[in-house]
Amino acid sequence: MKKKKIGVYICHCGGNISDYVDVEKVRQAVEGEDIVFLAKTTMFACSDANQREMVNDIEANGLTSVVVASCSPKLHLLTFRNVTQRANLNKYTYVHANIREQASWAHSDNKIGATEKAIHLVKAAIAKANYAEALETNKVKALKSVAVIGAGVAGMKAAISLSNKECEVVLIEKEPFVGGRVSQWDSLSTTTETGKEIVNRLYNDLITRENITICTNSEVISNKGSVGNFTLKIKKTPRYISTSFHPEDLKKAIEVCPVEVPDEFNFRLTPRKAIYKNYPGEYPQTPVIDLKNCTRCGACEKVCPAVNFSEEEDIIEISVGSVLMATGFDPYTPAYGEFGYATSENVITLPQFKRLIDEQSDTLVYKGKAIQNIAYIYCVGSRQAKGDNTYCSRNCCTSTIHAALTAKNKFPDINNFHFNRGLRTYGKQEILYADSLRSGDIYLQSYEDGLPTVTIEGKKTIVKINDILTNGKEIEVEADLVVLVTGMVPRADNKVGTLFKLPKGRDKFYNEIHMKLRPVETVIDGVTIAGACQGPKNIAESVNSALSAATKSYSIISKGELESEPLVATIDPDRCTWCGACEAACPFDAIMKSEKEGKIIAAINNAVCKGCGMCAPVCEPDAINVTACSSTEIMSMIDALV
Amino acid sequence: MAKINPSFGKELNKYGAINSNACYNCGNCTAVCSLSTEEVSFPREMVRLSTLGLEDDIQSSLKPWECYYCGECSTHCPQEANPSELMMSLRRYLTAKYDWTGLSGLMYKSLPLSIAAFVLTLVGVLIFAFSVDFVLEKMVHIGHLFEMIAIGTVGLVILLPNVARMWWFTILKPGTKVSFKKYLSSMGDLFVHMFTQKRALGCDDNQLRWFEHFLMVIGYLSLLFTTVFLNWFSSEYLIVTIFGYVVSAIVFVVTFDFVLSRIKKKKEISKHSQPSDWFFVIWLFLMGLSAFMVRLFIDLDLLETNKWLYLVHLTVLVQWALIIVPFGKWTHFLYRSFAMYFAKLKA
Repeated sequence: MKKKKIGVYICHCGGNISDYVDVEKVRQAVEGEDIVFLAKTTMFACSDANQREMVNDIEANGLTSVVVASCSPKLHLLTFRNVTQRANLNKYTYVHANIREQASWAHSDNKIGATEKAIHLVKAAIAKANYAEALETNKVKALKSVAVIGAGVAGMKAAISLSNKECEVVLIEKEPFVGGRVSQWDSLSTTTETGKEIVNRLYNDLITRENITICTNSEVISNKGSVGNFTLKIKKTPRYISTSFHPEDLKKAIEVCPVEVPDEFNFRLTPRKAIYKNYPGEYPQTPVIDLKNCTRCGACEKVCPAVNFSEEEDIIEISVGSVLMATGFDPYTPAYGEFGYATSENVITLPQFKRLIDEQSDTLVYKGKAIQNIAYIYCVGSRQAKGDNTYCSRNCCTSTIHAALTAKNKFPDINNFHFNRGLRTYGKQEILYADSLRSGDIYLQSYEDGLPTVTIEGKKTIVKINDILTNGKEIEVEADLVVLVTGMVPRADNKVGTLFKLPKGRDKFYNEIHMKLRPVETVIDGVTIAGACQGPKNIAESVNSALSAATKSYSIISKGELESEPLVATIDPDRCTWCGACEAACPFDAIMKSEKEGKIIAAINNAVCKGCGMCAPVCEPDAINVTACSSTEIMSMIDALV
Repeated sequence: MAKINPSFGKELNKYGAINSNACYNCGNCTAVCSLSTEEVSFPREMVRLSTLGLEDDIQSSLKPWECYYCGECSTHCPQEANPSELMMSLRRYLTAKYDWTGLSGLMYKSLPLSIAAFVLTLVGVLIFAFSVDFVLEKMVHIGHLFEMIAIGTVGLVILLPNVARMWWFTILKPGTKVSFKKYLSSMGDLFVHMFTQKRALGCDDNQLRWFEHFLMVIGYLSLLFTTVFLNWFSSEYLIVTIFGYVVSAIVFVVTFDFVLSRIKKKKEISKHSQPSDWFFVIWLFLMGLSAFMVRLFIDLDLLETNKWLYLVHLTVLVQWALIIVPFGKWTHFLYRSFAMYFAKLKA
């Protein structure tokens, strides 16, 4: 190994470091080291002047490596790597020592000790620099195509956005029809368009695009590969109806179907047949036979020749460069007896109520009874004092007020009573709240420790509250209908999330890397998240995040090639015995079993490995080295430290 | 256990409340009110009770009378829910509830009915005048008699029972225990507030309005005293004559300013005028002016013209005594001072 020539720069950081650490003493302590060619102190290492001086020093003296002892590498590692790069040195030969957070700030009560520690830290960095090698970034081919999982409003909008960027898109929807939750709503707040109209508009746009493939009734069943090249297997369940159907025949087929199951589209308020469409204008236009509930009686086949039970399940394989998850949410289902849910027939959930008012005209009737007084109980399944869902579901306040206003416009005789815990009709939605107040809706409020109660007295349902807006006075409403304002929870079916090993946050929704700065990326490289699968969002927010995720997914693959840090784990094939411990320890799914010259060993996927080092300590035969953190480097650092 | 009455808001709108449902309970109104205290806090609480329609709580409350309408709350209300006008409409509502005849409520809520009452009294006066052949002397004599009888009757039959009802709603019904001694010892407050309205001075920048109002009350009471007990129109004493001129002039000059400010609508207090407000200020103005003119015509010896002028004065007087005093805004003179008295009892 060629002898190193190392330049060391010790920063005052104004006084942040030098007030407690004697930087001159540190300089003197390291200056004499064999491999140290020059050692300098500087007022601000990060200043333009010093950066220029570093470049000059490197070029003039032919330094092979540089150490800067200053602040946290989080702040300036990249700054100084770039300095070395400008001086035509490989940037991975740069080593950073943190003597501010780890010495001066941590030990401001002990100047001698702080100086001592700083000397050790800098010596350790020099020891590491002695072994620092020039490294090249890893390059991986990236497919210019994206799989969008979930064809709700977020998925559809993301697909359109990706399609505009001349990127191949495969839009995968588990349900037989597109539109997700939005297709379930008629009137929406702050727009005159209905949910169904929005979905239809998006679908009509989607189908004109040649680079989008729509797969409905389809599920991702396996995932191989990684960023740049994911290989997905998709199971397509047939509709059992050929696309060349005669509408009249199909109408008859639906009529004759003897099966009746609760209609999930209407939140089980009404029944549907085994051959069905959720609503007339729904896309794709071909209805579907739900084989799980179909009795194969054959009645539909007799009246409609398009029915074809011989259609078979199809499994296709696609390869994409990135995956965009937009799998949406489930409405919270209240527990048995929660505010009278399931124990009183006058208690329903907000989604059910929204379907109810959409479906009815003239008078509001539920279970044969005319409805006059409606009590809305807010934050059911959200902001729980006892329970897991401590988060706010964001859209339910607005949604409830919108539904209450819609109901009042449609059925002027009703009275709306809102039992809330403080309203969150943020932004423009505040106008709705003001409208609702002016229309005579009554709002009663409590804290989480004084929730309203629902008591059932015979056929009557009484809602009581100690209203904090009326000095805590107990107030009761005899409600003909109690609407539980249920929030959003993650989809109960998380198979697809498990396939991609997507991490979840405390709220059990998919987790982004950084809530503010990297809001649509996940720790799984190449997989972005959009819409309500990430957490409660309204339509506008879902679309926002969808557009953002589409751009992010595209930016990863747009060059057709991916560059990744060379700081990855490496396997010594001679030592590896494939015990599988490293595969289990890897949080990024970057290690897999492979065969090399007849021997089963572990292999690292460089595109996915983050160089975190979780695998190295669990490897019994010591076959794993993490680049730039090799055992030799670490041991030499430890020697310098102790 | 309180039950909500969502239709109460609509009922209150008939008494002049504007948009009070828009309240989102921020409490700015209570924070800016210079009369509200921690113990007796308003107007938000009254807005809230009105929104919920908790009529029992409203009827037992003295708070509407403890507000003297500076209008600061309405100025600061972010929802434009007009809390000050809500308090005003609650005073009208309470006046209607205290009134055992129910006529106050009917007239507050229906302008046509009020007009009908005014027309009816006009017809009555004309019939009376016709029956005495429009002879001025007879008219003045009987007019004077009428005044005395009306004061006694309205006081005993309408006002006294209504104040008793107010006592029932606010003290007895809620079960407030008050010793007889306290009734006596607090009595001073009743008269102080009745003749000074000093609480109105607690409103910010209200000195001028308070003084005008004070002057008007003193002027009005003096005019009443001069015409009824000193028989101003027939008096031969110079001192009485001059005094009558002064007090009647005070009445119509001050009320003229009140009418003007209600037309200009510059201040919060004069922005929203219900028919009952107009009747009150205009009739006061007419009464002062017509009394002044009648006496002036007597002094100028213009007896023939004075016949008609007196007829106008008598009509105004009759309408005042039979409509506005028992069933109109006049009663706030009593209820406000009794409210301060009862509040003292409750404290």
